[in-house]
Amino acid sequence: MEVGRLPISAALKGKLVSAGYTSLSLLSSLSPSHLARDLNISENEALDILKHAPLDGRIDTSSGHHVINGAQTAWDMLHEEELLTRITTSSVDIDNILGGGISCREVTEIGGVPGIGKTQLGIQLAVNVQLPVHCGGLGGKAIYIDTEGSFMVERVLQIAEACRDDMSANNALSQNVHAGQVGMQPKDFLENILYFRVCSYAEQIALINYLDKFMSEHKDVKIIIIDSITFHFRQDFEDMALRTRLLSGMALKLMKLAKKFCLAVVLLNQVTTKFAEGSFQLTLALGDSWSHACTNRIILYWNGNERYAYIDKSPSLRSASAPYAVTARGIRNNVSNCKRIKLM
Amino acid sequence: MASFKRLETEFPILDSDFQSFCALRGIFTVQDFLIHDLQSLVADAEQQPSSERFMQAINQVLYVIDGLHRPWLNGVDLMEDAQKNKHALSTGCEGMDFLLRGGLQRGQVTELAGPSSSGKTQFCLLTASTVAYKHKGGVIYIDTGNSFSAKRIACFLNQISGPASEEMQPRILQDVMNSILCHSVFDIFSMFDVLHCLGSKLKNQMCRGDNDERLIIIDSISSLITPILGSSGSQGRALMVSAMSLLKKLAHEYNLAVLVMNHTVGGDGGIPKPALGESWKTLPHVRLLLSRDCGSDTYHVSLLKHPSVASGKAAKFIIND
Repeated sequence: MEVGRLPISAALKGKLVSAGYTSLSLLSSLSPSHLARDLNISENEALDILKHAPLDGRIDTSSGHHVINGAQTAWDMLHEEELLTRITTSSVDIDNILGGGISCREVTEIGGVPGIGKTQLGIQLAVNVQLPVHCGGLGGKAIYIDTEGSFMVERVLQIAEACRDDMSANNALSQNVHAGQVGMQPKDFLENILYFRVCSYAEQIALINYLDKFMSEHKDVKIIIIDSITFHFRQDFEDMALRTRLLSGMALKLMKLAKKFCLAVVLLNQVTTKFAEGSFQLTLALGDSWSHACTNRIILYWNGNERYAYIDKSPSLRSASAPYAVTARGIRNNVSNCKRIKLM
Repeated sequence: MASFKRLETEFPILDSDFQSFCALRGIFTVQDFLIHDLQSLVADAEQQPSSERFMQAINQVLYVIDGLHRPWLNGVDLMEDAQKNKHALSTGCEGMDFLLRGGLQRGQVTELAGPSSSGKTQFCLLTASTVAYKHKGGVIYIDTGNSFSAKRIACFLNQISGPASEEMQPRILQDVMNSILCHSVFDIFSMFDVLHCLGSKLKNQMCRGDNDERLIIIDSISSLITPILGSSGSQGRALMVSAMSLLKKLAHEYNLAVLVMNHTVGGDGGIPKPALGESWKTLPHVRLLLSRDCGSDTYHVSLLKHPSVASGKAAKFIIND
């Protein structure tokens, strides 16, 4: 039944079918009042239904390429991809394996054991996105959605100050000060991070639904960081099937935001154990269905006493590992003295 | 399946008397007429004062119904259609082509399931490049996870066209890449819209005779179906079945191959099995399970279901960087 494909409620679909409107072509030349009378519903509801009926004028058959609405050819996308800039992570090694940094229009999931530096990386990206394009950022704002309460403003200030120092050191070296550019102060960095605190999974989903409208009003946001996406879905969720549905729905909405507003979405995830191939292994949380939900996946892990980042999944990047370190100035390349502190 | 009220404008014999006669028996639309007992209706009609008009009206409705069903095909017609129109499309991967006896069959829906990072998207991009280049056909790529990478397509095209060091001529590259169209959809209703528009477009092209679309790839259909499957009520499953029947219809009528991606979930003993449940298993024509050796470029694929090849066969292939 073709009316089964309309995004309307099951009750309305039932009314349509019992009144004889079983195919969409029958709806196309109907007026809302006629439909409202036939189905015994209000005119607003009838208007709603007719909005979804196919309009024959939507296909542009006169153009040479016969492009359907919203499609892009691979050639156009190639040029767009070349123009897209990426957000640096401040660690040259990680940037190298990422092809320059975190890319826009994609959802990147970063997961690792507790204490590996996920929140640090999230904060570093929230600061770096505000840098001007020639310094590795996008000159935009950041949205930071905190579900665990691990966002420390003092740490953001510390990282912002280090960033400012690096920028002025670079400018002094290369004499590359653009006309009229005022150096960014740590206070400016803080001002451009929009912070949301979320306390339950319902709030989390409601916020992501609201982001679409929010983004249309704040077009300069270039990154959304969710720290962490797992927290509210791990405890006390009895209905696993519902959890899978909610998570996949949420993933699709985030994908849509990333594509529509051309921004980067970074999701931080926790780890769990999985029984596979006869032994228990560490994998990212939220299950198998979730692992397919994001475009890229980066796993942070310990190798001996050093921190490493590994690209687990990417459509265009090769699998590779890179070491990094968490320093007082933020995420940086691994230097030998920044290792894990052994508790005696 | 119109209601009699609407048919009245076209066939005035179905006037209000006939409509009330039918309404008394609960028949308002052609569909109701079909499921009603024809013998008893005719018997009732003969008892009425204006029985001749009613018999004419009943014949008129039967005539309308006859116009709605598809033409009959016999085995010879089907064989001719298969030989002329339904060739296999090479996927670009020798191992996969060998397993599938030539490649993706036009007119059939092929499902590829695999765990995360097992190479499904890479396989899709490779197949898209191969079909666009070798078969000079149009590819519709429906992307649900922003994983379409034009850079990777260009990379595959360079690999396919010539030796490692030679780059493709920009003009040829542009023509080939222009035949790959990418749609981003983020819910199942948008996918229906896209397929609907595609169907109309192909119908127009068929009339003009310049149909060059060959392949539809949906990466991945499971991310569109998972949010709606399993909730109370069977709406989700109905939409899933409806989506597949639309894809099969497009595949058969316009001689397209359809490739859909599915993910895997944990099965018994930790062995991954394809997602989307039991009712999904019967829907695709061909089902494949993909896996990758950890950290290497070697992929293993096994055949779960195929209309003409014994299942259980497996193959290995390598996708280069």
